[in-house]
Amino acid sequence: MAKIAIRINGKLFQEDIPERMLLVDFIRESANLTGTHIGCTYEGVCGACTVHLDNEAVKSCMLLAAQADGHDITTVEGLAQGGELTALQEAFKSEHGLQCGFCTAGILMNMTDFLKQHPNPSEQEIREGLIGNLCRCTGYVHIVNAVLKVVQENQLKKA
Amino acid sequence: MYPAPIHRYSRPLTLEELYALLNSNDDDVLVLAGGQSAMQAVKSRMLRPSHVIDLQALSELKFIRTKKGTLTMGAMMRYVDIVSSDLIPLELAALQDAASRVGDRQVRNRGTIGGSLCWNYSAACTPATVLALDGKINLISQGGSTRQIAADDFFLGPLETARSESEILLSVDFKLRGAKSGSAYKKWGLITDALPVIGMATCLHFDNTDRCKHVRIALTGLANGAERCTAAEAVLAGTDISAEKITQAMSAACEEVSTYSDSIATAAYRHQLIKTIGSDVLNIAKKRAFGLA
Repeated sequence: MAKIAIRINGKLFQEDIPERMLLVDFIRESANLTGTHIGCTYEGVCGACTVHLDNEAVKSCMLLAAQADGHDITTVEGLAQGGELTALQEAFKSEHGLQCGFCTAGILMNMTDFLKQHPNPSEQEIREGLIGNLCRCTGYVHIVNAVLKVVQENQLKKA
Repeated sequence: MYPAPIHRYSRPLTLEELYALLNSNDDDVLVLAGGQSAMQAVKSRMLRPSHVIDLQALSELKFIRTKKGTLTMGAMMRYVDIVSSDLIPLELAALQDAASRVGDRQVRNRGTIGGSLCWNYSAACTPATVLALDGKINLISQGGSTRQIAADDFFLGPLETARSESEILLSVDFKLRGAKSGSAYKKWGLITDALPVIGMATCLHFDNTDRCKHVRIALTGLANGAERCTAAEAVLAGTDISAEKITQAMSAACEEVSTYSDSIATAAYRHQLIKTIGSDVLNIAKKRAFGLA
C-alpha cells in the first residue's frame, strides 16, 4: 500500500491505496467525485476522465493515483465557484453542447485548459484541441460552437 | 485494462536516489517517464512491474542547454515543453513539428522525449525525428558513469533499444550546424495527430555553394520502426535538392524500405505516402535552411 495525499478541488484527501490504483478510481471511489467519467475501460482513448493536474489537462486513467501524490487536482466539480457556472459551462448549456453528457466533464476540463493556453483560437484549432475527447452524440458541432461562443464573449469584453 | 498488482512505487528526487533505487535488486522494475505509452502497456498487462520508479520529480532531467555548438535536451522534457520552448533554433524545428502533433493535447501535457525514445514504438514520431537529426543519446548507469550512443545504434527495432535495464536515458545531444541548416517532420495517420501510417523526418545542411553537404532522412510507421533511408540520402548528397532530385530520392526510398498491404493501406498507398510526405519535408527543410520558411 502507498500512503498518498492529493488535494482535489481544494480539499485534501489522505489515504493508503494499492499502488496499482489509477488516479481516476481514486477520484471516483475514494474522493467520491463521480463527475469524472470512465468511457473506454481505462484504454486512454476517450478523454472522459480528463482532469487538471496542477492546472494542466491530463487523462486520469493514464496515471497511477500514487503519481498524483502531492499534486493539485481539479475535477469538473471544481469548475463552478459558489454555485456559479463558468462561462464555458454556460455556453455548453445555451449552445446545446451536450446530449447524453457522458463526455462533457472531460471536454469541459480539456477546453478550460485549452482556452487558457489559446485565448483566441480558430475553429480549426478548437477541433484539433478536441482530438483527445470522444463524443458519440453531438458530432462536435455544438461543442465547437459553445467553445467559440466563449472566445467571442472574451474578445468582446476585451474590445 | 487494469494494472496487475504493483508492490512498490518510488519517486526519487535526485539522480543519487535514483541510482540507489536501481541498485535495490527489485525484480521487474519499470522506470516511468511521462507514462503515456508505458501505462498503456501496464494496464494491458503486457508489462507487470513489481516496482515503479517515477522520474517526474527529477528536475535534473528537465532542461534545454546549448553549449559549444550542441543543444542538449533533458529526457523529461514533455512534448508541451518542446513545442513552447524558445530555446530550440529553427534548424531543429523537426523536433517541434513532431512534438506538436503527438497524440492529443492531454498526452502532450505528460509525454516526454526520453520516454518515447526508450519505448521506441514502431510508429512513434520522436525516434525517427531524433534519428534524422543525428541525435546522440546520453545514458547514465547505476554508479553514475555515462556513455553516449548515436541514435543510429540506439534504436534496435520496435520496442527495442540499446539501453540496458540498469541505464537511464539522461538527455539527447543535437549538433548545431549553423547557417543554411534546416529540418522538418511530417506524418499522415488515419485521424488527426494519430500514430502515423507513414511519418518522415529530414535534416539538411548546405555549403557555401548551396550544395547539400549533410542530408539525413528517417522514416517511421513501417514494421521496422524508425529507420534511415540511406539510398534516398545518397541521391541527394552533394546536390541542390532540386525537385527532380527529390523525386529520384523518394523513388529510391520506396525501393529500399519494405512496405506491405493491410487493412489500413495498400503497399502502393504507403509508397505514395513516402513520396508525398518525403517531398514535403525535404522542401520545408530546404526553405528553412535558406530562411524562406
